[in-house]
Amino acid sequence: MINIDQYAYISALRRKDPLQKVFFALLTLGVCIWADSTVISVTVLAIMWGITVFTGRIPSRVFARLLLIPMLFLVVGVLTVPVNVSQNRDEFLFSFSLYGIYVGVSGTGIINAARLFFKALGASSCLYYLSLNTPMVSLLSALSRLKLPKLLIELMGLVYRFIFVLLETANTIFTAQNSRLGYSSLSSGHHSLASLATTLFMRAYKRSEELYTALESRGYDGELKVIEEKYETGWTEYIAAVLINFLLILTLVLSRRLTGGLP
Amino acid sequence: MKDNYILETEHLKYRYADGVFALKDVNIRVRQGQTTAVLGGNGAGKSTLFLNFNGILRPASGSVSFKGKPLDYSHKGLKELRKSVGIVFQDPDSQLFSASVYQDVSFGAINMKLPEEEVRRRVETALVKTGISHLKDKPTHSLSFGQKKRAAIAGVLVMEPEVLILDEPTAGLDPAGTSDIMRLLQGAQSELGITVVISTHDIDIVPIYCGHAYVLDKGEVILEGSPKEVFREKTVLRNANLRLPRIGHLMEILQDKDKFEFSDTAVTISEARSTLKQWRDGQKRQ
Repeated sequence: MINIDQYAYISALRRKDPLQKVFFALLTLGVCIWADSTVISVTVLAIMWGITVFTGRIPSRVFARLLLIPMLFLVVGVLTVPVNVSQNRDEFLFSFSLYGIYVGVSGTGIINAARLFFKALGASSCLYYLSLNTPMVSLLSALSRLKLPKLLIELMGLVYRFIFVLLETANTIFTAQNSRLGYSSLSSGHHSLASLATTLFMRAYKRSEELYTALESRGYDGELKVIEEKYETGWTEYIAAVLINFLLILTLVLSRRLTGGLP
Repeated sequence: MKDNYILETEHLKYRYADGVFALKDVNIRVRQGQTTAVLGGNGAGKSTLFLNFNGILRPASGSVSFKGKPLDYSHKGLKELRKSVGIVFQDPDSQLFSASVYQDVSFGAINMKLPEEEVRRRVETALVKTGISHLKDKPTHSLSFGQKKRAAIAGVLVMEPEVLILDEPTAGLDPAGTSDIMRLLQGAQSELGITVVISTHDIDIVPIYCGHAYVLDKGEVILEGSPKEVFREKTVLRNANLRLPRIGHLMEILQDKDKFEFSDTAVTISEARSTLKQWRDGQKRQ
């Protein structure tokens, strides 16, 4: 599995104000979906790839491999889009007849499918830009600046912190069981998995109690207050984000004019 | 201030919810500015004792005093107490709640309602003191066990407590990690004048780093004194599932089985060295 999280911490953009990144990613995502045009989608994809690889210094292959994940789903999903049913055979590029009606693939269907495919891919690239360049902690700080409920942000933070502890514990228990042939047969596997889940729950409960004691010892008062890290911030990035999206919209309008409304 | 004892317990008893006494009549006095060791096997009551020290647990009877005054268990009193008495728990994964080392360390200082600049200053100092400044941008889950332990200590040092209590500070650390942590504590003690209390069953570090030791067994103090005094009571120690430091054991064997005659018990390498030298010089004179 590719560990997105790990890359966010080595990104050259990690010190940048997370709010800027959230703003840019969501704005571009919105424009990409609204534009519904292959040209814009591919441009968005290129911009996000460019920023992540050249400014963020994330290896290009990481970005590509991550994009493969939605691509697999998209290919399966999009395959059915160009397929249409009609009584007129001339609409289709190729078709076969079924009880007097025609089922086939049309030219506009293929164009539509491609547009959908790239739109989804462009939108995913916006989110990958955000997640590859923003560590979770920074993202949470952005969310809290956006005035999301404190409780929600604290929970997200704790879940994020302890998911690694939980995975590690589960892994250790699994290895211990496996080395005693706990998964050698299907029935013993079921049995072992059940006891793994039980033990994991008990451990998590115990750990939560220990955590509470430790927090109390450090003056916990019902709220996990911490100091925010300092980020490089400024208006330039916001202006750049608006400008880029303005250009995207301009490109869309111009390309519609030139091609006479074709996507 | 009564004498210069910063933490004291008098006839401290603590009972678990199931009625079993975890601590039965514990009398302990922690001298200010010293490192005190609380020794004991598993389940001797060390951790329970520590949680009584900062008011997380309340004694069934008897009392705990900080700077000569019995603990004030009101909300405000406990808050004040925990600023002065900090505990570092055994498992750093249960103490570090934030995915950011920097933010986790800041938690205690923020809770003390210090101004932001002061918090930042203290966080930096604590990170430098524990030698993890280079890790402040790393996520907590990518740290090694020893690094997490340091981060946990930094998270308590940031409150600049008067007493630093550590539950098994060296458990799970490699030999280099153990001496690093102990030296770090020594440094904190000499620079900031912090009183240190540690629980451990790593016997060998006690004579090297600790000025005073208590031995706990089944919720009772069975021995107390300087490490040297404590390690003279071999049988009592062994009955409490503890042992002598390796050097002390060697000296004991030399004395009992090989008919060496030593004037004093030696429990550290340097003590053994001077005792052996003395013995050699004595041989020469004869």
